[in-house]
Amino acid sequence: MPRVLNAKDKDLRAVSAEIKGMISESKVIIENATHLHGLCGGLKGGDITIEGNSGDYLGVLNDGALIRVRGHAGKYLADNMTRGTVLVEGDADYGAAQYCYGGTVVIRGNAGDFTATMNKGATILIGGDVGDEAATYMLSGDVIIVGNAGSNLGNYLLRGNIYLGGEAASLGHNCKLEDLNDEDVQKLLGYFKKYEIAADAKRFRKISPISSKPFYSKEKK
Amino acid sequence: MPVVGAFCVTVFRDRCINARMSGKCATCVEVCQYDVFAIDSEGQVAVQNFNACVGCRICAEFCPEDAIRINPAESEFLVRSPWTFPQVEEIHYKAQTGEYMLRGFGAMGFAPIFDHITVVPSQIASPAPRDKYREECKLEVVIGEDTCDHPIRLQYPLFFAAMSFGAVSREARMALAIGAAQTGIISNTGEGGLLKDETWLIKGYENEERTLKRWEPGGYLVVQWSTGRWGVSADYVRAGDAVEIKIGQGAKPGMGGHLLGVKVTEEIAAVRGIPVGSDALSPCRYYDVQDLEDMKRMVAFLRDVTDYKVPILFKLGPSRPYEDVKACVEAGADTISIDGLVGGTGCSPAVVTQGVGIPTVALIPPAVRALKDMGVHRKVKLFVLGGIRNGLDAFKAMAMGADGVGFGTAAEIAMGCRACMACHTGRCPYGITSQDPELRARLDPEEAGQRLANFIKATAEEIKILTMLSGHDDIKDLSEEELRALDLDTAAITGLKLVGYERRLPMWEQMEMARG
Repeated sequence: MPRVLNAKDKDLRAVSAEIKGMISESKVIIENATHLHGLCGGLKGGDITIEGNSGDYLGVLNDGALIRVRGHAGKYLADNMTRGTVLVEGDADYGAAQYCYGGTVVIRGNAGDFTATMNKGATILIGGDVGDEAATYMLSGDVIIVGNAGSNLGNYLLRGNIYLGGEAASLGHNCKLEDLNDEDVQKLLGYFKKYEIAADAKRFRKISPISSKPFYSKEKK
Repeated sequence: MPVVGAFCVTVFRDRCINARMSGKCATCVEVCQYDVFAIDSEGQVAVQNFNACVGCRICAEFCPEDAIRINPAESEFLVRSPWTFPQVEEIHYKAQTGEYMLRGFGAMGFAPIFDHITVVPSQIASPAPRDKYREECKLEVVIGEDTCDHPIRLQYPLFFAAMSFGAVSREARMALAIGAAQTGIISNTGEGGLLKDETWLIKGYENEERTLKRWEPGGYLVVQWSTGRWGVSADYVRAGDAVEIKIGQGAKPGMGGHLLGVKVTEEIAAVRGIPVGSDALSPCRYYDVQDLEDMKRMVAFLRDVTDYKVPILFKLGPSRPYEDVKACVEAGADTISIDGLVGGTGCSPAVVTQGVGIPTVALIPPAVRALKDMGVHRKVKLFVLGGIRNGLDAFKAMAMGADGVGFGTAAEIAMGCRACMACHTGRCPYGITSQDPELRARLDPEEAGQRLANFIKATAEEIKILTMLSGHDDIKDLSEEELRALDLDTAAITGLKLVGYERRLPMWEQMEMARG
């Protein structure tokens, strides 16, 4: 049976201590946690569900935990995550899944501006639309956007893939739009099946980097 | 490669082995990283491009006959300023390439520095001097005493500034750890991730198992949290004795770190998660902070992830010291390091390094005032960086209200650097800022670590001398009364009493009265 932690009127330190004491023994459900920012930071394991909405920086530095949000997530969801999974049933505010080295972030609703900025290896799946400047200076990993994207998508993309189901207001520098190959389609089908996303993989297009050296250093000709 | 053109290269042919015997020696050709020398088909060495000389003097050091002299083209500066030869060459470079100049190091030349301040010794009208040779003097600084479980107790009020793995070599990082371990001070990772070796070297152990303690007393490793977040994870932030949140730095405030592709080797690419050979350009700001409330939350979660054990430090570039320091205190800083205009870097656009920011000496009064206004002076520690060269600079900064100082450029020089300012090229002939295995092999981490420790100990002794001749036995008791400004500009910038006038300038007295 999951244990329930009511976070009402408690501060981050107190709730963190309780979480760390519970996660090795059972799943944890946290209620009334909207006021807590940086909750579930740096956890190496555990299965945690946030009932309702979360505060900012939920799952920062996550290194192995499974974190679910039944409602909406605040700003900077799963910031700098290295391992684990973060699932959001609703929307995610500004700057979700930035600086992630690994793990998976699934946002079933929409995500805000600067989502997946400097992604360095995570898989980031947005079931709805994403705001402006998503996947800026991305260095590795996959970003899958089922809906539409705002302006400057993938600005200065260096490595990795952005899969786009809808339209982008504009692409950023160093980006090119391509059709999917079979391997891409199979990868997307796998993600959609695993996370129960209703989308047609064949309809997607891929955004890839033009060069891995778009700044001072240049490709050898 | 930008042409620098600031040096005259002279080869004394009567001493040069190659001049006497074609095809022999040519060590200068071999060691020069900038093709200043060339050897022709007949084996004769010649200076083929003196404009390319960056002044590292490795050729002179390696010349077996002491036949090479590298001298600055000083007369050019005197008679042609502002159209000096380097300035002319810079314009030519831009005209030829359409590119602006990049370089390492900090601002050169014009900024007010500590040299325009003098130390006032104790005589009869003030507390008598203390005897440096026979009495004790407290130099310890404690960080995070009231805010975390494991405060840092610096043996000396000094630390090594952040220098990332990437900007400097693995060997240089190891040397900094060894130097800090021998002196009980801080080495800071910078934003290039953490080398495993650092974690035991910094504690004075020579092996990973931590069974062989070699260097006492052991130092402190600060891990930096910055805008590029290179190599950062929960394990990384927990590996440090403190976490430093970098807001900016003196050499390029308002810009992020620059590591050019030439230094992004496979190892560095793996740590940073960037393609080999691709420039690692950190963002100029935190994408995950939009206002001071976010910064407070960042401090809170870093304390939480590190289990409330270690201090949280801030590093500021030279912008608006009063307001910025207050913001850091509000955000929850245990220590604030503020880096001045003269602060160095491994790479930056030259115009930014040379022309952006407030000089170090001018940062201290407003920073101290901010801490005093918030009632946290000496509680939230203030460290000053940017062109600090010795115990005299350090003493002056501390008498002005800082708790200690950091060394970046001076630490590199202690390791063997000759200040050629070409760190960004990756061809540092001393192996400090290069990632080339052949050049790196020239830097012995233990030897360089010992040199760093020697430098810190000598500098600490200088601070001790100056503190005691000022009539004190604890650096905490230092005040502005130990100093005088030598000229009007410095008196106006610092608020120190002016020599001869023996008072603060009226505008400072008026401000003091207005503040009550």
